[in-house]
Amino acid sequence: MSTAAMHAEHHHHEEHHHHESFISKYVFSMDHKMISKQFLITGMIMGMVGMIMSLLFRLQLAWPDEQFSILETLLGKWAVDGKLDPNFYMGLVTIHGTIMVFYVLTAGLSGTFSNLLIPLQVGARDMASPFMNMLSYWFFLASSVVLLISVGVETGPASGGWTVYPPLSALEKAMPGSGLGMTLWLVAIALFIVSSLLGGINYISTVLNMRTKGMSMNRMPLTIWAFFFTAILGLLSFPVLLGAALFLIFDRSFGTSFYLSDIYLEGVGALENIGGSPVLYQHLFWFLGHPEVYIILMPALGITSEVISCNARKPIFGYTAMVISLMGISFLSFIVWGHHMFITGMNPFLGSVFMILTLIIAVPSAVKAFNYITTLWRGNLRFTPAMLFSIGLVSFFISGGLTGIYLGNAALDIQLHDSYFVVAHFHLVMGSAAIFGMFAGIYHWFPKMYGRMMNNTLGYVHFWMTFITAYLVFFPMHFMGLAGVPRRYYQFTLVKEFDVWMDVNKLITVSAIAAGVAQLFFLWNFFYSIFRGKKAGTNPWQATTLEWSTPEERIHGNWPGEIPTVYRGPHEYSRPDREEDFFPQYIPDESDLAQTETQKTKTAPSESEVEETESASVFFAAIKRVFGLS
Amino acid sequence: MSNSSKVNRIKDQQPAVPPARLNLWLFMLASSMLFAAVVSAFIVHRPDAEGRGAWTAFDLPVFFLYSTIIVVASSVTAYLAQKNAKNDELAANRNLLLVTTVLGVLFCISQYLGWQQMIRLDLTFVNARPEDISASYVWVITALHFVHILGGIALLIATWISAVRLNVHKKSMGLMTITHTYWHFVGVLWIFLYLFLYFAQ
Amino acid sequence: MLNLCLKTPFSTKLEMKMDTLRKSLASMALFFTPILAMAADEVIAPPKEFSLANYDWISILSVLLALLIILVVARAFDIGALTEKITGKSVVKWNDVNAWVGVIVLVAGLIGVWYELKYHSIYLMLGNSASAHGSTYDSMFYWTFGFTFFVFIVTEVLLFYFMFRYRYSADRKAHYYFHNNKLEVIWTIVPTIVLTFLVLRGFTTWSKITTEIPKESQEVEVFAYQFGWKARYAGDDNNLGNSNFTLISGTNPLGVAEDNAVDELVKELEAEVVKIKGLQASINDSVAVWKKNHDYMVSTGLSRTYPEEYKTVKTKYTDGISGAYERTLEKDLKRKMTNLSRIVEYKKDRTFFDGSAKDDKITTEIVLVKNKPYVFKFRARDVIHSAYMPDFRVQMNCVPGMPTQFAFTPTMTTEETRKARNNAEYDYYLYCNKICGGAHYNMKIKVTVVDSEAEYNTWMASQAPFVAPVAVPAPAGAAPSGDSATVAPVTPTVAMK
Repeated sequence: MSTAAMHAEHHHHEEHHHHESFISKYVFSMDHKMISKQFLITGMIMGMVGMIMSLLFRLQLAWPDEQFSILETLLGKWAVDGKLDPNFYMGLVTIHGTIMVFYVLTAGLSGTFSNLLIPLQVGARDMASPFMNMLSYWFFLASSVVLLISVGVETGPASGGWTVYPPLSALEKAMPGSGLGMTLWLVAIALFIVSSLLGGINYISTVLNMRTKGMSMNRMPLTIWAFFFTAILGLLSFPVLLGAALFLIFDRSFGTSFYLSDIYLEGVGALENIGGSPVLYQHLFWFLGHPEVYIILMPALGITSEVISCNARKPIFGYTAMVISLMGISFLSFIVWGHHMFITGMNPFLGSVFMILTLIIAVPSAVKAFNYITTLWRGNLRFTPAMLFSIGLVSFFISGGLTGIYLGNAALDIQLHDSYFVVAHFHLVMGSAAIFGMFAGIYHWFPKMYGRMMNNTLGYVHFWMTFITAYLVFFPMHFMGLAGVPRRYYQFTLVKEFDVWMDVNKLITVSAIAAGVAQLFFLWNFFYSIFRGKKAGTNPWQATTLEWSTPEERIHGNWPGEIPTVYRGPHEYSRPDREEDFFPQYIPDESDLAQTETQKTKTAPSESEVEETESASVFFAAIKRVFGLS
Repeated sequence: MSNSSKVNRIKDQQPAVPPARLNLWLFMLASSMLFAAVVSAFIVHRPDAEGRGAWTAFDLPVFFLYSTIIVVASSVTAYLAQKNAKNDELAANRNLLLVTTVLGVLFCISQYLGWQQMIRLDLTFVNARPEDISASYVWVITALHFVHILGGIALLIATWISAVRLNVHKKSMGLMTITHTYWHFVGVLWIFLYLFLYFAQ
Repeated sequence: MLNLCLKTPFSTKLEMKMDTLRKSLASMALFFTPILAMAADEVIAPPKEFSLANYDWISILSVLLALLIILVVARAFDIGALTEKITGKSVVKWNDVNAWVGVIVLVAGLIGVWYELKYHSIYLMLGNSASAHGSTYDSMFYWTFGFTFFVFIVTEVLLFYFMFRYRYSADRKAHYYFHNNKLEVIWTIVPTIVLTFLVLRGFTTWSKITTEIPKESQEVEVFAYQFGWKARYAGDDNNLGNSNFTLISGTNPLGVAEDNAVDELVKELEAEVVKIKGLQASINDSVAVWKKNHDYMVSTGLSRTYPEEYKTVKTKYTDGISGAYERTLEKDLKRKMTNLSRIVEYKKDRTFFDGSAKDDKITTEIVLVKNKPYVFKFRARDVIHSAYMPDFRVQMNCVPGMPTQFAFTPTMTTEETRKARNNAEYDYYLYCNKICGGAHYNMKIKVTVVDSEAEYNTWMASQAPFVAPVAVPAPAGAAPSGDSATVAPVTPTVAMK
């Protein structure tokens, strides 16, 4: 570069203090806001793939004898003459589950909003380690790409269900999808685990360590609490999945017998493996799998708490109870995994223990639901799309949560296990509820992400269509489950008894297609608004939390000047002593100002003192910060 | 941050704990969970496999015991290195770091010899008799730990280089503290794993 | 092949692939060229010519039309928003609209739930249960249903009512209300009490179902495999013979410990070992042949004309060159040797081979007697399956290497249920309810409950024992004796290779 050019650039740099190249700004960005957008867009793309997959297999379920030429066009050899191949049906089901659970609702939801909101809402310039944060996204992207590639391999994608239970997933001879497709699935998940751990470490460390002045833990918005517990769950449970996956890899590729035992395969004969335990995999998997459910749900609950409080113009009811119930759910989620395995032949006594623990989870969940409803009571509700989606979430959370009481009950699980009842349950409580939380978050924080507003009217159309169709898709499944219709069946026409459900199946499929169409409104709204939306201003929702104190221009470092100090809790809406119906966290009132004066007399610890903290006391220091002692 | 701009020139409140150090603790927590998973799999699996005659208990190779001794010694030297750095005894710190690194490498060699010993006894990862799952577990556990040790050695070397460049001293203990903590972690982890395997076998 | 009998698209496709393979290999053995070309012509369909008529234009156009409509609607809304912006007045009071839509959706939803409950009521929980523990189960279910349905209605109604009642009004300020200990304690305690009740009931129900097994229960082995079920009844000696997966063979699908069948398997395995050893000895020759074939195809350009055939040839060639073939042989040999030595070990154990398997009856249908207690012993051959009998409220996973069981007593005969459901063709089935492969959806076995022991005995007599007795005259329907290790004639589908 010539000196002149350098000079020019230097000059340029002076003028706009934020000059970054395209690559460092949009691609290898270390700005948490950009990373959150990357997560969001990738998550949305994966979500579309997952949704299209679900429509493809719904077509098969509703019209098992029809031929859809579109299927052949899309899937080629997997849908010869427009009829879906049973093995590929299983593949679609598996990849749909994997994408939705891990890629959309874990990374897409928690990745997006943890990244966007944690630094903004606790008052930090960026994440604790922006570089790790960037790595986290790139591992996620690599993982997504590997998973999508696995759909195209010749023997088909992994097709043993998203839980990939061995021996089915371990034996290529048992199912074509358990060959290369399964290998790629495992690679994708391993990459995903790395991404999730890198992200999780960052989230926890930022929340514990980087909060601005005055932001004690009990002044944190509920979003942050939710992301914090989510990250802890991820940090403690994903390594266990890694262990489970490692054993599976060893069994598949090296011939060990961790999970394999007493197997005879058609055309191969008896295998040598003895003494492996297939149920061991299920234990390890569900030790992740159950917290995973809450990893999906809790960020959505956190977002809902914020959105409902803001748009009801009321403080969230029972802040402390909300935090404690989050804490309770997080803790309990680690000791209830066995309820996924009641009928694996586990010790009946162990089953009872898991049943008791599982049903205890209903208590904090109930507290949350009641608190949401009470927050609406005597509020002044503004129905922004975000608010509607949050209310939708509460509705799904209740309908789907209540059926958990059936499934958590070991006795009732005998009949309902792996039936359509389960499908209905988890699609409502963690599928629909979590995706509604994600939509609420997108509509609510879109102004913060892109500086523009999304179109409300389109948002309403999107909401009502999605809400109604989601209920139409998943609610009838309860009844099918109660009639003993098993899940993951390619078609039901071979069993006469299931014929009565054909019209219900058609209703579900038609509704699912309508739900897919509804998402097109959203996509249009989203991308159109990025470029053409109304300018948002700094605080379009008159919200109280810290992120709305950042300037309209979104800069790396968030605040151009000093990071604002926090003076009060996050939900000071409609305070009787104030004229306005919201009182932001970052605006001091008279008494606060007096307090800051006295605080200034204290000397802050010098840098060297901080450096010299014994490593062993890191957690003590962190705990001190938690309780605001330091 | 290379692309830090004007905003970062404003003096922000310092975090209570250096972020890197907290991240390390969280990483150690996560990796403990990985070992916890493998170890509990071992515990749960053993009676089940034993009941079907698919579990052969065997004595751990003696080299694993040597490894344990080495790892204890290296922890001591790592501790001394840290202490010297804090007191600005830079030469001693450098040397001790080097000794720790060498001990780390010795540990690796000892582990390798231990594995060789296992192979000689036909206790391979994919067993000569596929029903002997116990050996597979020992391999998985020691190999996973080995990966952690390699990370530790990399950190030690990085710290040593930094010390040679006189970047490790009283006022700049960041990397030293992280290396020191992590090395203790892998050391304690190994002692735990060794004792576990010793008594659980 | 087992798969074949099920006539699934997959198995036929597999079969077709195998056919392709065999044909191409055979033609190669006859030394290629014109024959290969002809054979290949038979197998490979000529590529479809590109033609516009091949596309389903109607679907494509309708998709395009739908997209267009969406765009138009979206634009219309945009214009609406623009009008609002220009005029400064909101055309529609969206806040009220949303509140009203909420109420309408709630009412419509509740009507839908009511309608569905009414419309499909007889199918829910499949009417009355057909087993003794089923009634306990059903009562547990209805308690839970009552409680959750009540909470469901109350909370959903409250949610939408509040949504409607407290919609935004500029004249009002929200009630600053963030905490009420009493209220929160109440709605922590009340669910706790209700759940305690449900947990205790669930606990007793669960313990009763899983642990109470009457002593006089009859054992029936239910064996799951990809993709089907088999049942095994003890014969006259009332004793199910031992079994092991290593003993499974074409003639012994359940791997029971029966001398003749196992001896046959040993012979089979020994023959295979000899065969593999032979292949190992001639490995260089085979690789040379494959190399020759491969080079020939490449040099003549046949590899481009018949890519499918070339692929198989190339795979063989690369496997041979890289040593993968050799390793496969070695692995196969090792496996066969291990199996052989294990079988020999088993054979030494005479308490294992106690002869009680001889009269066991392997059936393709399950017949039970009303009001008689049963214990189903589940085994799986290859992957995890799950035996699911919704009519009886029975489900248990079948795990390879981990025998499981479920005890129950049928209380309604098939006939009675047919009457109750007003469906003369209704049958009980045992389904697979754990994803187990491509034909998972078609893995079921008929379960019949008969009224009397006599009916059962008649059916039982029609089933052949595993080894047809030599001295005693064969029961009706059994295979004529002579060959002492015939398969039960009811299982003609089982044949290995």
